[in-house]
Amino acid sequence: MSNILELKDVSFVYSEGTPFRKVALNKVNISFERGKITGLIGHTGSGKSTLVNLLNGLYKPTSGQVLLDGVDIWDEPKKIRDVRYRVGLVMQYPEYQLFDETVRADIGFALRNKGMSEGEISERVIEAARFTGIGDDLLDKSPFDLSGGQKRRVAIAGIIAMRPDVLVLDEPAAGLDPRGRREILGSLHSYAEMTGGSVILVSHSMEDMAHYCDNVVVMNKAEVYKSGTVREIFSEAEELSSVGLDIPMTSKVAKRLLDLGIKLEGDLYTVEGMRDAILRYTGEVEK
Amino acid sequence: MISDITLGQFFPGNSVLHRLDPRTKIILTVAFIVSVFFANNPVAFAFLTLAVCFMTALSRISLKVVLKGIKPIILIILFTAIINVFMTTGEGEPLIEFWIIKIYTRGIVRAVFMAVRVILLIMGSSVLLTYTTSPIALTDGLESLLSPLKVIKLPVHTFAMMMSIALRFIPTLVEETEKIMNAQKSRGADFSNGSLVERAKALIPLLIPLFVSSFKRAEELATAMECRCYRGDKNRVKLNKLEYHGIDLAWFLIFALFVALLVCLSVLPYSFGVDNELYNILFYKI
Repeated sequence: MSNILELKDVSFVYSEGTPFRKVALNKVNISFERGKITGLIGHTGSGKSTLVNLLNGLYKPTSGQVLLDGVDIWDEPKKIRDVRYRVGLVMQYPEYQLFDETVRADIGFALRNKGMSEGEISERVIEAARFTGIGDDLLDKSPFDLSGGQKRRVAIAGIIAMRPDVLVLDEPAAGLDPRGRREILGSLHSYAEMTGGSVILVSHSMEDMAHYCDNVVVMNKAEVYKSGTVREIFSEAEELSSVGLDIPMTSKVAKRLLDLGIKLEGDLYTVEGMRDAILRYTGEVEK
Repeated sequence: MISDITLGQFFPGNSVLHRLDPRTKIILTVAFIVSVFFANNPVAFAFLTLAVCFMTALSRISLKVVLKGIKPIILIILFTAIINVFMTTGEGEPLIEFWIIKIYTRGIVRAVFMAVRVILLIMGSSVLLTYTTSPIALTDGLESLLSPLKVIKLPVHTFAMMMSIALRFIPTLVEETEKIMNAQKSRGADFSNGSLVERAKALIPLLIPLFVSSFKRAEELATAMECRCYRGDKNRVKLNKLEYHGIDLAWFLIFALFVALLVCLSVLPYSFGVDNELYNILFYKI
């Protein structure tokens, strides 16, 4: 089976039966392909964060099924913790969850909960730390002495150390400088490549999506608006602006050029694709 | 979920009770609480129940919500009722006598009315005050009522500010607790299983981040207040100044009438010396 995670007719309602009732997800169907990076994008309040909490069983769907490797994760509610080790969730602003005395201990928290041996834990902690770019000199410091970007990495390392089959990240780059952004998102790419695991990335940034993802799911008003490969989604970029989303900068440039009568061909949603397209175009003109 | 607690929660609205001055409501609530303890016979209780139902109707808050507020204290009510049943001694033969337990009619009657009293107390004061007054109006009202104490150098404004800040941050803290709990659960933390010691230990990963962020937030709030030149109540003026209106006067009068009637119902019947069966039941002194 090529789908690692699947949502079937999943609905989620907050405060059911009270005047504050709110439908956060309405009959959502999504398949996440094994070994791929899938981007989840949508306006604020479109249901992205709720969806993320359903994936590892923090919330239970009001109706519908969440299938992990074809098995409903709520078949055995007592084993939901095992699901959480397999679907690693990095929440928004994960640096607020740090609590232990040293970075080393904090990254190993999940592994200790899992009941692994000390030797194995320290091995995995070092591996996860390297992965997210935390130097060995930081491992014995208190997490509260680190900078914001470093804290973020420690928190992500704490999930990566579990070696989840699916790594889910809710806005992992929010509030970081461009360099921290590139580094964190880049390490996700290598995670998928090295471990063969799947990554689900929630983001607001179209550029990030275009750059790092294979597939994209667009959410709007508690429903799936569109899903497909990056190329499929961004080739109709104007449609996205109709649901309140920003389109990649290069797509905007391409649109203006088209208005001026210059038609480019190719992947116009990344800087590289745009460059090639422009070079091709100018080459043809010179001929 | 933890966010479903309703006791003491404000429900926005535009009823007569919502529009009353918070000071009026605070004073009336105190008067109401005192008068509830005056009631001492079935007729007085019936009158009180009617008054509370009338106020609930006026507040336009659904009866379901008001009753839901009683749920958390149902155990306390039951406990007091049971104590009353067993501990009250009355005249004449006990109703049930078993080993050292003696139950008198008086005890049962007293237990029932005690429960009714507590329920009316909660319903009345929440409808009159907490459900219909926003926390900000509430602290404004308290500050204004207590302001005479400034003469003896009591920092009334500071207390009121502390109270409104505390109230303001309860929802924030609840939300944050839920968030951190979920984050730690994602790392395999288990808050609901295990022995007492294990469960207490499981709280450490929750409490430390919560404390850290609370201190940080307090510092940020203090800085933000100083940036806006906050210096306590020195030279501070209010956007919404509290003012009594005609409706407040009307309510004071109605309430005075209510209290007077209740006191009459609780005191007068015993000075007539009437002795017939129905009269004795109606005005059975609890």
